[in-house]
Amino acid sequence: MRAFVKLHAEGDGFVPPSTNDFNLPPITESIAWLTKPVLLVFLSVILVSVFFILSSRKAAVVPSKLQFAGESIYGFVRNDLARDVIGHEFMRFVPYLFTLFTFVLTNNIFGIVPFLQFPAMSHVAFPYVLAIFSFGVFHYVGIQKHGIIKYLKEIAFMPGVPKPVYILLTPIEIATFFLVRPLTLSLRLFANMFAGHLLLLVFIMGGDYMMHDSHLIMKLFSPFSFAFGIALTFFEFMVQCLQAYIFTLLTALYIAGALADEH
Amino acid sequence: MTHEPSNRREENALWSIFGYLVSGLLFWGGIGWAADHFFGTTYLVLIGLLVGMGGALYLVWLRFGRE
Repeated sequence: MRAFVKLHAEGDGFVPPSTNDFNLPPITESIAWLTKPVLLVFLSVILVSVFFILSSRKAAVVPSKLQFAGESIYGFVRNDLARDVIGHEFMRFVPYLFTLFTFVLTNNIFGIVPFLQFPAMSHVAFPYVLAIFSFGVFHYVGIQKHGIIKYLKEIAFMPGVPKPVYILLTPIEIATFFLVRPLTLSLRLFANMFAGHLLLLVFIMGGDYMMHDSHLIMKLFSPFSFAFGIALTFFEFMVQCLQAYIFTLLTALYIAGALADEH
Repeated sequence: MTHEPSNRREENALWSIFGYLVSGLLFWGGIGWAADHFFGTTYLVLIGLLVGMGGALYLVWLRFGRE
């Protein structure tokens, strides 16, 4: 496939987008770690902080538009995610879930904001770190609530099973809680952002290439590629919101599971 | 966008089931694959996958089917 593309792309032919498009160079030569995704993450923290400080500073009974916007997002995370999923102990986890949701959402949406146009979560390291935080939180609250031995026992040994069956079931349960959960949490977010960005690159760069091609027929089809790129941008917006929601929802579900008295 | 509590339980169940199925396949399929490598056979990975699937389904039934 690769060889075919190369052959086809002799001279100034079309170079399809690849993983190289995600490895952006440092902004200044002297600081190797300061790349665009890193800057975007800093920017997102500043934006989220400023937005919520501004929207809550002059809190009034009759809210301003800004306060209403801020409170809607907060209310959504607190009521629909934390309270409905976790139950009566939910207030402890609202700060974490709220931070998680707004941080992931902002970074995802950066993928389609003009000039920024890069979702930091398409670098797998960022979702990994977030998943490690969530992993730490839900195991910590489980251990805190039940004590480490009872907590591990509840994870590993499903009650009401004949003893020899544990050989079959216990590894599956341990793998679920300690490996599959953090991995799926981070990889789902990473893969969605990565694939979405690549998809947009294909159609926008493809449209651009076709527009500058010498054949008339290519020029004629170029607008279709752009139109599809724009349609996919709206689709991406939906995916970006959904992935931020799912990441937070799953974290809340895992916390709820760790707090539950039994399976 | 408020959900019924029962709706939530179903959502919860969905993700847990997904996790169990993946880890069942991964763990016992992995064991089968390693055993294949060790013994030079080719069918143990299939047995491992089936055992993992069966175990995962059994776990799902234990956890959600008994209520």
